[in-house]
Amino acid sequence: MTAEATEGSESTTGAEGTESPESPAKGAAPGPRALARQRRRATVARFWNEYRRHRAGVFGLAALSLFVLVALSAPLTVGSDVESVTNAPGQPLESPSGRFLLGTDQFGRDLLGLLIWGSRVSLLVGLLAAALSVTIGALIGITAGHFRGWYATVMMRITDWFLVMPTLVLAIVLATVLSRSLGTIVLAIGVTTWPTTARLVRAQTLAVESRPYIERAKALGGGHWHIMSRHVLPNVMPLVLAQTTLIISSAILAEATLAFLGLGDPAVVSWGGLLQDAREAGSVSSGDWWYLVPPGVGIALVALAFTLCGRAVEAVLNPRLGVSR
Amino acid sequence: MSTHDQHGSGRTGTHPRRIRLLASAGAAALLLASGTAAPSASAAEDDKVLTVAVAQSVDSLSPFLAVRLLSTSIHRLTYEYLTNYDPEDNHVVPGLATKWKSSPDKLTWTYTIRSDSEWLDGQQATAKDAAWTFNKMMTDDGAATANGSFVTNFAEVTAPSPTQLVIRLKQPQATMTALDVPIVPRHVWEKVDDLSKFNNDKDFPVVGNGPFVLTDYKPDSYVRLKANKDFWRGAPKFDELVFRYYKDQDAAVAALRKGEVSFVSGSPSLTPAQSASLEDEENIHVNDAPGRRFYALATNPGARAKDGTKFGDGHPSLLDQRVRHALFMAVDRKAIVDKVFQGHAVEGEGYIPPRFPQYFFEPSADQKLAYAPTEAARLLDEAGYRTNADGKRLGRDGKPLNYRVLCHATDPNDKAVGKYLEEWWGELGISITLDCLDNVTDPWLAGEYDLAFDGWSVNPDPDFVLSIHTCDALPATPKDTGATDNFICDKTYDELYARQLAEYDPAKRADIVKQMQSRLYDLGYMNVMAYPNAVEAYRTDQIESITTMPSAAGNIYGQDGYWSWWSAVPAGSGDSSGGSSSTGAVIGIAAGAVVLVGLGVLFLVRRRATADDRE
Repeated sequence: MTAEATEGSESTTGAEGTESPESPAKGAAPGPRALARQRRRATVARFWNEYRRHRAGVFGLAALSLFVLVALSAPLTVGSDVESVTNAPGQPLESPSGRFLLGTDQFGRDLLGLLIWGSRVSLLVGLLAAALSVTIGALIGITAGHFRGWYATVMMRITDWFLVMPTLVLAIVLATVLSRSLGTIVLAIGVTTWPTTARLVRAQTLAVESRPYIERAKALGGGHWHIMSRHVLPNVMPLVLAQTTLIISSAILAEATLAFLGLGDPAVVSWGGLLQDAREAGSVSSGDWWYLVPPGVGIALVALAFTLCGRAVEAVLNPRLGVSR
Repeated sequence: MSTHDQHGSGRTGTHPRRIRLLASAGAAALLLASGTAAPSASAAEDDKVLTVAVAQSVDSLSPFLAVRLLSTSIHRLTYEYLTNYDPEDNHVVPGLATKWKSSPDKLTWTYTIRSDSEWLDGQQATAKDAAWTFNKMMTDDGAATANGSFVTNFAEVTAPSPTQLVIRLKQPQATMTALDVPIVPRHVWEKVDDLSKFNNDKDFPVVGNGPFVLTDYKPDSYVRLKANKDFWRGAPKFDELVFRYYKDQDAAVAALRKGEVSFVSGSPSLTPAQSASLEDEENIHVNDAPGRRFYALATNPGARAKDGTKFGDGHPSLLDQRVRHALFMAVDRKAIVDKVFQGHAVEGEGYIPPRFPQYFFEPSADQKLAYAPTEAARLLDEAGYRTNADGKRLGRDGKPLNYRVLCHATDPNDKAVGKYLEEWWGELGISITLDCLDNVTDPWLAGEYDLAFDGWSVNPDPDFVLSIHTCDALPATPKDTGATDNFICDKTYDELYARQLAEYDPAKRADIVKQMQSRLYDLGYMNVMAYPNAVEAYRTDQIESITTMPSAAGNIYGQDGYWSWWSAVPAGSGDSSGGSSSTGAVIGIAAGAVVLVGLGVLFLVRRRATADDRE
């Protein structure tokens, strides 16, 4: 229903199939490819202009870039040596000092280094799990919206079942049953968080498919695959994108939760794992705040950054949401 | 926040309603906070209550079924055993039996049962009760679940008179003064139909004759005991003893700080960080004592049953003694003590901890597997496990060696040591996979592991911890559960085991026990890395004094005997509880205030947010 309401307005960003006629290029007639490229570039520019107006979104994006930069450069700045317990440089649980800005853990390892090193895993798991979740959700949403009938009924009942299941409990069960590895965590988060995406995407698919041009495409001989991939997918893509950014933050939180509950891979340093290590070392009751606070703040900041970005994207794509913000 | 629709309706009605709502919410918060802060207030006014924070739940309160430390400790407190161990130096002292002697052929033992011990219901505890208990364990498989190993060698147990118990043995048995079996009242337990299903947790108070009476129990919550004022050795000084279950150790430590519990034992002990921070605390004493546990790395020797069936999937390379030795030689025990235990442990040598000096074994210089990584690498080369171009050591099948190490997810030390092993063995070219599980029992019993973190508490009489490595302890078939720890079955060891069991001379027996440990050390299936200390803490403003065992430097929780809780003296005045309840009230008021402010802010925000919707 939202798509219909916004059709014709300038906010149907990225929706190639429904691009309104005001954007064709001026000047000499370029080839169709160049035309498309130009149109896309204009769309991106317009999107960015819109996005820029959301100050929180810009802040989120900046924070995110910083985190990604830190994570990507971790092999250069700290290196995998930071994980080594046998060559740990400090004494156990040293408080922050000039040498160790965030103190040390119970093995005498530098916590700042571990924090940077752990950000890679947290971000990676967050991204992969969100990608998996959104892929499943989009696939089920589009097919259920397209085929309708008994297939849609069955799919949506499955979706409902997953929707009412407590996500964390299901993820814990999965992570317990399967072997302990990063892949397991990604899988556990991915297969438990897709139902909302599926529901959203199905609604949007239904809205898109009720438009006249889909009927035209069908009349011209467009098959199921053509309609789903060429017409529906591009139209639900913005929604999927916004959903992805939002799910990443919950996936990072879920990863931290699972790792904190001791279900992660104990050999891998992640933020949730650091919190779990801190708890096991008894640093909660002994007041070693430097062990507990930084990973927690890191998780909160990254989740916040992704949420801010997601909200901003959502607001840009759906101006009716934007008003209230 | 489903109530927010009601607020939005009509401006005039909102004001008084808001006040009432906030007031009631604040009151509820106050009630809640103060209710949780002072739970001990429920006991009678002048009762002296000793609350112990424990991390273990009770498996069963039936003396025939219980095996966990907490449950067996409770049985120590509520039932008498034939003998007890002196808190001073672990020598055997009278319990329910006052005297004992063996016949010249070493096969008949006669115990004199005391006549001043009464059951809770006023009946005399006699030799008949003891005879019934042992006979039940000999004839009923359900009753033999926990302590059956003590009676397998018994031929006949009789009680010719109320004060005389006679046990006839099939073979001489050196552990006859160390029968750690709670004696239960016959007239109560006779009525139980199926001992394998009866958990003794329905009918309170439980009829016993120990220094305490079991009066109440709630699973995973608490066990409550009252002092037995008529106890023959003298009444305990505290009126009530409560074991309260804390799943989280940090929560238990916080409760100790607040004075809600008097004692924290930790599971298995407080972490170095916790003990260090508690040491600075006023009114808290940290007891850091040599432990009775060993902490070892067990190697799967190829699991098998008594009928000869092999099962499990232990790595074949570990059947080579050189590989086992090489692995252990690459383990720096000193680093484990210094770094993981941060000094709260003693470096591992033989099987039995140095706390039991008569049995403690130290490997000789040429026998000792000292830390020597290069030597370890040489040994592996010699055994035919060479490295490939990537530095990975290859097994017989040409695949890189990768061992699965079974670790307890609940024990942080396992994970920490695992990290070190990963690096030490990584240098040798061997990778490991740490399988940290909440429940290690299933893969363990199935023999599906290569190496495993292992540990046992050792009793003053070492028979039990030695028996779990004999061929006799193997499961009958792969489907059964044996008493075996690690599927070890070695002829030389078994012969020595039989000899020590038949040896009544303490010095000679100790010598054989040392030989057994030497054999175990050489086999390399049980590699003791450390003897962790028992690190526990108690409030000196609630407990004035308490007996440790051994008294010079010993532990308090999980002793072989009831000495600690029986001897604990409450601190002089009762003003400690006043302090804690006033802090409880302060916390309650503060929490209530926070809730009030929070609700107020929330309400304002809600009002602002719904401003457009209203009217």
